[in-house]
Amino acid sequence: MSEQLERGLETLRGEIDNKVKAFFSSCVRCGICAEACLFYTETSDPRYTPIYKTEPLRKLWENEYSFWGKLKSALGMSQAMTEADLADWEELVYDGCSMCGRCSMVCPVGVDISGIIFKVKHGLSQAGFSPEGLVGATQRAVDIGSPMGITLTTVQAMIKHVEADTGLKVPMDVEGADYMALLSSNEIALYPEYLESLVKIFDHAGVSWTLSSDAFEATNAGLQLGDKSIAGQLVQRVVDGAEKLKVKNVISPECGHAYTALRWEGPNFIGKAYPFRVVHILELLDELKAEGRLKTSGQESERLTFHDPCSIVRRGGINAQPRNLLGAISGNFVEMADHGNMNWCCGGGGGVSSNERAHELKLTAFNKKKSQIEATGAEALVTACSNCRTTLEEGVESNEMEIEVLGLTEMIAAHLEERPAS
Amino acid sequence: MLSLVLTLAFGLQLSSADASNIPPQKPNVPDGVSALNPGSDLWREVRRRDGVGEFNEVNQGVLVKDLLSEIQRSRQVPQGISQVNQVDSGVMINAKGRRWAAFRMTTLASYSGIALAAIFVIIITFYVVRGKVPIEGGLSGNMVKRFTDYERITHWTLAVVFLLLAITGLILLLGRPLLIPLFGKEAFALLASASKEGHNLFGPLFLVSLIMMLISFARRNIYEKGDLTWLLKGGGLIGKGHASGGFFNMGEKTWYWMVILIGLVISISGLILVSPNFGQGRLIMELMHIVHAVSAMILIVVSVGHMYLGSIGSEGALEGMKTGYVDINWADAHHDRWGKHCHEEDLIVSAEEYARMQGQPADSAEPAMEQGK
Amino acid sequence: MIQYLIDGPLWYFSLAVFFIGVVWQLIAVVFTGNKADLSVPRDSAASGAIKTFFSRFVPHREIAPAIMLPVVAGYMFHLGLFALLFFAAPHVVFLEENLLGFGWTPMPHWAFIVAAQFAFFGLIVLWLRRLVNPVSRLISTLDDHIAAILTFVVMLTGCFALLEGSTGLRLLHRFTVELWLIYFPFSALMHTFTFVPSRMLTGAWFGRRGVDA
Repeated sequence: MSEQLERGLETLRGEIDNKVKAFFSSCVRCGICAEACLFYTETSDPRYTPIYKTEPLRKLWENEYSFWGKLKSALGMSQAMTEADLADWEELVYDGCSMCGRCSMVCPVGVDISGIIFKVKHGLSQAGFSPEGLVGATQRAVDIGSPMGITLTTVQAMIKHVEADTGLKVPMDVEGADYMALLSSNEIALYPEYLESLVKIFDHAGVSWTLSSDAFEATNAGLQLGDKSIAGQLVQRVVDGAEKLKVKNVISPECGHAYTALRWEGPNFIGKAYPFRVVHILELLDELKAEGRLKTSGQESERLTFHDPCSIVRRGGINAQPRNLLGAISGNFVEMADHGNMNWCCGGGGGVSSNERAHELKLTAFNKKKSQIEATGAEALVTACSNCRTTLEEGVESNEMEIEVLGLTEMIAAHLEERPAS
Repeated sequence: MLSLVLTLAFGLQLSSADASNIPPQKPNVPDGVSALNPGSDLWREVRRRDGVGEFNEVNQGVLVKDLLSEIQRSRQVPQGISQVNQVDSGVMINAKGRRWAAFRMTTLASYSGIALAAIFVIIITFYVVRGKVPIEGGLSGNMVKRFTDYERITHWTLAVVFLLLAITGLILLLGRPLLIPLFGKEAFALLASASKEGHNLFGPLFLVSLIMMLISFARRNIYEKGDLTWLLKGGGLIGKGHASGGFFNMGEKTWYWMVILIGLVISISGLILVSPNFGQGRLIMELMHIVHAVSAMILIVVSVGHMYLGSIGSEGALEGMKTGYVDINWADAHHDRWGKHCHEEDLIVSAEEYARMQGQPADSAEPAMEQGK
Repeated sequence: MIQYLIDGPLWYFSLAVFFIGVVWQLIAVVFTGNKADLSVPRDSAASGAIKTFFSRFVPHREIAPAIMLPVVAGYMFHLGLFALLFFAAPHVVFLEENLLGFGWTPMPHWAFIVAAQFAFFGLIVLWLRRLVNPVSRLISTLDDHIAAILTFVVMLTGCFALLEGSTGLRLLHRFTVELWLIYFPFSALMHTFTFVPSRMLTGAWFGRRGVDA
């Protein structure tokens, strides 16, 4: 057995907790989860059945924790796990799963399937069975500070543009600010309008905030790869940045997996609770609106629909907020047939979009979203995750669909009530 | 099956023990009474007491016809009343039941046994002579979807229930001549009691699966224009070449309607037999039993042929009911009109695609070409 | 001899294996490796656990049409089996005399027949689906098939013994029940109990995050 395989198996062993035991001993292999998975429904390939993706961990559990496995190994009949047991699953787990968690919503015995898939990813990443694209992105995140290789210089250049366009100052490294904002790589490289919107909205609402030159990057390639120690390292940077500036709150950008990494998994990755609160930008905007600090004017007449980012809505609990915000600025908002906690993923989550090998499959999976969007007859598609947004744009383009893809935060910024000149 | 075998094993184990446990019973005759044959005269009298006229030991007519006319008569002729406070209270001793019983144990059992043996002989002979009917040019590996999951589950549910009923039914019918000599009476008593309970319990499920079958397959089994040619060509089993057919060919359609119609007859007669509390008397029960047994035997015998043709008799046929997909060459050969439709509508999936949908990783996909040239 | 074995030692052995096995497994699930979540909860984990425990009895509207068959067959089987297990007259008498010391009103014979029909039909359909559906065929293990067949055999021998007229058939049923009890804790049959912690753990996880699951 190679050293790497042993490391992978050891990692998997460490992942076997009470949940895994409850889940594997209650699964009856009914296969209902397949019907919830867009990689299965769009390909009819049974290997994309969510619970099948957890097979490496299940096998290990069966071999080493179940009665029959223990009996077999006592009799010398057990078959040791081999490289193939892990290698064959690399494609299923990294290309054929966007960690959207829809399967976890439908399991009749309540197995959190995508939770186990994350554990499998952890094992595979340690055994060296991860896609090149994702490994590269993670490496860049560790070395340079961003999976897309973005440096502070790039950010500073963007800030200059934003300040010129808005005539407002972008606060940098302000100690004791209430909020510290973070950006995802996509928001720096592709959607500078996000930062522009933040500046306008916070100016409008009178929010004390800052960016940090040590910690501006919110994405976490470690989470997508499943490598918990790298994920912890990346979270620690943000925690250090926030502690240095002594902020009370850290704002997660729209980006879905960044929110999961910061808000929910981060404290567990680094092994301690934060001295600050993590709030998603949509949560903050909704709070400001409720406090009366954020006032909007005018409504879009275009037919709008909302794509729920899985990590923010189904696995993040931010369901009502985007609808409150959209309701304020749109007079013609329609829901997709399956929305909210049971939305369909765009296909690009869980690191799939950073994994070039998975490109074709991602576009196949997008067919689900395509038919959903078309059924609404919407003219514009709003979302609140930069990763969803690029995936949706890609899908819209390659399917030659005529629909605009918008970010929710910038739509709010475009509808801010003019303040009476003071 | 497993359970029946277990039952039998238990019966064999226990029969010796049970027999030794029961103390020999003393005949219940008071002292001083001549026990030679006190009741024979009485018995003779009683047999005439059902008010339906003379008891005729040697009945010349056909049993079913007799039963029908007697059911008719029993409604008209005023009857005496026995202690039985229910239907058939006019019958003290059902002397005519002996004729039915004799029919069941001799005629019905022997003809059924012969029919069953015959169909196996015919099929084995056919297989030896004709062998597996091959597909010209072999299988291509490219597949078309024929049945949905739901349709296949419906088929197999009906099949499983049918088999359970057939096996338990045959044990009840043929057990006495065939199984008692093999296992002895005690073991057979267990097996028969078990079979009877099992048979009664699974009966209604047969009707349910039959209705499911009716709903999901009826439309495609309506006879249409080209079906006659299929008949004229002998269904492709006789002579060279396959006969023309649509989604289902005429043979399949006929089998389907046999299953539905005979199945309904079996179900209804079975329900009448299993629930004796709706006012039906012994005569009706006897009649229903004959209907039940004869129609079931027909279905069992023909089903053996169906199983043969659906599996080892015809290359590529079982695949359709297993995976829901059939080889396009099979479709072209057996159901050319449907096959043509599949070509036109571009419904064919490649061997790789098919393997993928069956859950085999892409690199291990090999088209089923072993029979091809 | 066989009768003594089945009614006596084997019965107690199988009961012991069943109870100890089940309790052992549940302890393993409840007490091992439960890591505390350090993130700040948005909502109550406990109420999430309870909510999810109940919500999973009914499939989500969004997925219901696609899974009608297993859901309907699943309910037929489970409800039928539950009724047979706890309300069949011979079972009630048996439990009263041998285990509990008290009884309850059994269901009438016709209800028994209906329950048995439901249970058999459900189980047959579920098992055939397991064989026929490409997804469940791929993911099913040997254990799933053994568990299904063993349960079927137990139910069937129970119905064979319905007349209650033969010691042999009663013993046969009891023997298969004993096999089933012994197999139970080491198999997929454990889902009878583990589905509760499984649903609740997942429900708690979603509950902390403020998601209705």
